[in-house]
Amino acid sequence: MHATVSAARGQSKKRQVRWESFFDLLTRWSFLMPTILVLTVTLAYPIFYTIEISFAEFDMSSFGAGEWVGWSNYREVIGDYRFWESLKVTLVYLAIALPLQITLGFAIAFLINAEWWGRGITRALFIIPMVVAPVVAGGMWRMILDPLWGLMNYALQSIGIGPLDWFGDPDLAMAAIIIIDTWRWTPFIVLIATAALLALPKDIFDAAKIDGAGCWSTLWSVALPLLVPIITATFVIRWLGAVKMFDIVLAATYGGPGKATNVVNLFIYEEAFRSLRFAESSAMAVIVLVLTMVLTGIFLRGSRKLEERF
Amino acid sequence: MNAVSRRAVLARTAGSIILSALPFAAGAAEGLGKPGAPVEIRIMANEAFANSWQNQLVPEFNKQFPHVKVTIDGVPYAELLPKMMLDAINAAPEYDVLLIDDPWVPQLASVGGLMDLKGKAVAAFTKPDYDWADFNAAPLAAGEWKGMQYAVPVRSNMLLMFYNRTLYKKAGLPEPTPELTWDQFFDQAKSLIQDTNGDGKVDAWAVDTYFVRDSLTPTIWQAILESNGGKLLDANGKPAFNDEIGARSLEMHRDLAKYAPPGALGHGFSESLQAFRQGQVATMFTWGSVYKATAVDTKTTTLKEEEVGIQVMPVGKARAGTHRGIWNAGISSKTDSLEAAWAFVQWLSSKEGEQINAALAGSFPARKSTLASKPNEAWLEPVYKTLQHSYQLASEGEMWRIRSPKSNAAQQVLADEVARALAGQASAKDALQTAADKIASTLK
Repeated sequence: MHATVSAARGQSKKRQVRWESFFDLLTRWSFLMPTILVLTVTLAYPIFYTIEISFAEFDMSSFGAGEWVGWSNYREVIGDYRFWESLKVTLVYLAIALPLQITLGFAIAFLINAEWWGRGITRALFIIPMVVAPVVAGGMWRMILDPLWGLMNYALQSIGIGPLDWFGDPDLAMAAIIIIDTWRWTPFIVLIATAALLALPKDIFDAAKIDGAGCWSTLWSVALPLLVPIITATFVIRWLGAVKMFDIVLAATYGGPGKATNVVNLFIYEEAFRSLRFAESSAMAVIVLVLTMVLTGIFLRGSRKLEERF
Repeated sequence: MNAVSRRAVLARTAGSIILSALPFAAGAAEGLGKPGAPVEIRIMANEAFANSWQNQLVPEFNKQFPHVKVTIDGVPYAELLPKMMLDAINAAPEYDVLLIDDPWVPQLASVGGLMDLKGKAVAAFTKPDYDWADFNAAPLAAGEWKGMQYAVPVRSNMLLMFYNRTLYKKAGLPEPTPELTWDQFFDQAKSLIQDTNGDGKVDAWAVDTYFVRDSLTPTIWQAILESNGGKLLDANGKPAFNDEIGARSLEMHRDLAKYAPPGALGHGFSESLQAFRQGQVATMFTWGSVYKATAVDTKTTTLKEEEVGIQVMPVGKARAGTHRGIWNAGISSKTDSLEAAWAFVQWLSSKEGEQINAALAGSFPARKSTLASKPNEAWLEPVYKTLQHSYQLASEGEMWRIRSPKSNAAQQVLADEVARALAGQASAKDALQTAADKIASTLK
């Protein structure tokens, strides 16, 4: 009798535990659902729509995917030298702009971190380029770099350089884009790096000082290893932003001269909204998405390895 | 008795006439609105002129059609075609009238977005005195596609040569005439690079125009090509520009940059206009519609009216150069306000509308009678003469962009390849061959 009662109690307890865990799960999912729904609508749907279009003929009369054409759009894109040229231009831009911005950002953060007069004002001023609209930044820099009337050439000529044809020479045009992009985005890195430097444990630096470490060895052997996770994370965040860049190019050089600054996203934009080749541009967007995901995966793995090493 | 019955008969007759006329009167009032119940039409236009048309032209239209409420929405040029396409394919489009750039008519017509303006539905509302034959052939052809008239010219534009008389005089050169050849132009160009204030530095150059990577830059090369007797496409619609004439014409376009201000490879519409208006360049090849703001309007130019000359582009091996760029008005095929929409388009493209549009907004007319008449403003006289000349040239040499639903894609290919050749990243011959291959597969 007693056994039966305790078995029944046990079962009821189990049922209660199961119900509680189910209720807990339900509560968690109910909190998650709005986010999942919003993400599905705003992120997943456009991606799947782009993928669908990339495998179809674009039907202008319905403005959507028409007849299924398999890999035809991808073959067309892969056979288009302009796509590869624009990828090459993007890689050149990324290979120069990213390390430059990361190095400059952290270097400036080190300087700002030290106690000096006017540090607060400088920090505040650094935010300005980030809030300037890309079109305004592009237009403003077009004026600064104007070969005839620009401030930059005036300054360079005073030290015997130039005049330089910033938007007429293919190499200088790429340099101009990197300068503008670096001007816009270095402050973002400075902000992250400053916060990271402030968060570093002071006792380790005090210990290094007691051990007789100089400025250089403190930077190289103490600060940098501690900053590696932040540097790698900043690199990945900035990489994801930089790979999408096209607004500054559109405002400053229109991708020229020739094809010197025609980054892949500008090319995709033009193919879609100027040439109305939505299917082909969707295929390009999917290829760039896959490439970006693969490279981001490699960077994340590399950053984890670096973190483990330091 | 006789008098009464006569009155009764008269009253009955008058009553029946009024009653029989009522349905027509009611119908007419509905189509063009009536007091307290106006008809609304919405127009999508380039933001460059939408606002001035809304403020200057709509009040003039409303003097004749007070019960048609017109709203003109401006859209940036770069987004205009995709937005028009999206609206045109909508089951219930927002816009009744679309203001369409020259090469877009085939694209909008091919998705069934436009109404045939010579078709039965529209003809029922066409005024008997609306003279189709009065339009110059070249601008009217911009609104045509596969034998149907989908749009009419409302803001005509042509690529023309602007010149600064003061800079020509300072260089000791004769004023250009429409007979000026490309060879003469290049000979004179060297002398037009000059130091005008005697400070030892060059401050004026010979020419500025489109050199930047832009879809309109190939129109300059195309104007040179067609002035030299070359053609963009052959009779079968296949690329015909990748020949000696094409390559030579592209080299001529590249040579223009040698006589342009530093940084000219980054110059397009705005930069060349700015350089000309500031008196830095002696000539400019650009759209004629900028004439008023370049020569007359003191708010936008440093030049005086008597300083600025206008004519067609120099003469090549075959003829003088120009290029058509017409803004057309088309009516949405699904509009609910056909009568009001067509009333506005008819008014705007009539001789009266053209004259008002030219005087108030500086838009150029397309009608022969308007161009032959004495304009209200004195500055329009040389412009009208040049326009008439350029329309004839455009007709003879078929000087317009590719007419196809895929014309934008083809134009972008040309923009890429012309830009490569101008920047020296490819030879003129290679660039044109690449463009020809790509365009042939695009237009298939």
